[in-house]
Amino acid sequence: MTTVTGELIGRTPVIATAGLTKHYGSVHALTDLTVDVGPGVTGLVGANGAGKSTLIKILLGLLEPTAGHASVLGHDIEQASQDIRRLVGYMPEHDCLPPDVSASDFVVHMARMSGLGASAARERSADVLRHVGLDEERYRPMGGYSTGMKQRAKLAQALAHDPQLVFLDEPTNGLDPAARTDMLRLVQRIGSDFGIAVLVTSHLLGELEQVSDHVIVLDGGRLLRSSATTDFLRQTGSLLVEVVGTETERDRLGEELARRGLTCRPRGSMVAVDPPPADLAAEGAAHDLIRDVAVELGLGLMRLEPDRGHLEDVFLEGGARV
Amino acid sequence: MSESAPDLGRSGVIHDLGYRHYSGVREGTPAIARTLFVTGLRHAYGLGRSGKSKVMPFLLLGMSLLPAAIVVGVVVLTGLGDLPVSYADYTNQTQLLVSLFAAAQAPVLFSRDLRHRSIVLYLARPLSAPMFALMRWLSLSLALLLFMLVPTLVLFLGALLAELDTGDQVAGLLKALVLQVLLATLVAGITGLISSVSLRRGFAVVGSVMVLIVLTGVVSVVQNIAAFEDADSASVAVGLFSPWSLFAGLADAWDAGVNTPAPVDGAWVPAYALVAVLLVAGCLLGLVARFRKVGSR
Repeated sequence: MTTVTGELIGRTPVIATAGLTKHYGSVHALTDLTVDVGPGVTGLVGANGAGKSTLIKILLGLLEPTAGHASVLGHDIEQASQDIRRLVGYMPEHDCLPPDVSASDFVVHMARMSGLGASAARERSADVLRHVGLDEERYRPMGGYSTGMKQRAKLAQALAHDPQLVFLDEPTNGLDPAARTDMLRLVQRIGSDFGIAVLVTSHLLGELEQVSDHVIVLDGGRLLRSSATTDFLRQTGSLLVEVVGTETERDRLGEELARRGLTCRPRGSMVAVDPPPADLAAEGAAHDLIRDVAVELGLGLMRLEPDRGHLEDVFLEGGARV
Repeated sequence: MSESAPDLGRSGVIHDLGYRHYSGVREGTPAIARTLFVTGLRHAYGLGRSGKSKVMPFLLLGMSLLPAAIVVGVVVLTGLGDLPVSYADYTNQTQLLVSLFAAAQAPVLFSRDLRHRSIVLYLARPLSAPMFALMRWLSLSLALLLFMLVPTLVLFLGALLAELDTGDQVAGLLKALVLQVLLATLVAGITGLISSVSLRRGFAVVGSVMVLIVLTGVVSVVQNIAAFEDADSASVAVGLFSPWSLFAGLADAWDAGVNTPAPVDGAWVPAYALVAVLLVAGCLLGLVARFRKVGSR
């Protein structure tokens, strides 16, 4: 199965895998994964153990695949692993910071390990630490950092050498809601303002909805779906209507709309209207009808909006397929 | 966007330059490896680290220099015809200090990256696991060599000051240097491997002390007993089991001024050299396997 989505046609993908498989004995971490990743922010989503970290480690050359091929930024992972590691940054999921070193010293050292000279490394580290939001703390040993600060330092070392692609493995792990929002905003900026391609993993679907251009869903090491985020959140064509009052008012509206030819069902305090039939399909026709019905029944219209899909639906659909 | 005329009245304006890309030079693998090597060497002596991490290495270095300084003083003042101890034997006599230095500093280079898992960040960069292991081992080897060489050079300068025969002294010094290089690579390999397996600093130090000091002590006792019982080949064979007895045996065979309980000669000499080289190679392979394994987790 090959998945190349619309926005990728005609461009070299940042990451391309073909039949990528990794088995640890009887454990199948990744099975026959064929997917292309383009520029911008790509979310890699799946439950714990879905194969997200395994995929990143294979792409970095830290693990060898059992079968299949992959290329990153046009370099083959088996033949040119070193060239890939020059061009990418990696923020691992787990803690990886020595506690007795300051973030400033550490990021400088890591930049040098990526091939920057001493002065360039110092300059880039100061820049990057400012971008991730580590200010005065950067001179303190990292052992005393909060989880949020550690995540920032980890991100800074991944960006220190100005990579063309960064792998961010669960960057929001362990963060409180405010820090989570900050981190997601930063991830989005890396993709848009910094112009660095991002592959970001998360087991929380809602997070990636906000920041990714493209989402790849893994389930048990298999590709469930890969497409642009807008496709996931596509407008289903259904409408949601809410009126002032209780369920009685809701049902009155629903019954009247049904009589006029719309298929309706209650959803919470709202009426969900299925995509209108052909005679009402014209732009705004269904909206006008709903407005008129509400006026005729003397109901206060509170909300009338298109019904969007959610990333969660992919799992529901996928679950039905398996 | 609306355009407004620049405010000429203000001179100091802070610009947020935004993200800047790096278009400068990127060094190749050899330069990165050299940086790692130099950093490792400095860290072995606590340089570029906290103040208290400098105490142990320099205290030990001072202790190993003290006898050399005394010997030099005695030779220069009394006008002895020769140094009372050969260059190679000085290293042999101060082996406790060398062993302690290796045991104390190997965890700095071989445990920290694994314990804190920053090894993953290294292996996600251009240097491969074998290169990383090799550079770490070279750093510790050179640190150990310097540790042994500095007192040796003090002795040598003293010998020159006392106007001893320069030819003899240079020959002795060069022999000692070759043996020290071999010893440094051996001890660095052994303590490095131990430190990379036992990630708690305490365990790593104890493990290294067990191998370098306790095992060497046992080997030495057995060698002496065997020699006393006239079982010379047994005595020499036992010498294969500790880095220090390998060093002493080769020094004895090469006439570098070290005497072993039973003379090392004939086929034993290549056997000693072979065991030493195989030991170094084995330790290096073990280190690479260890770094690879932790790096992929």
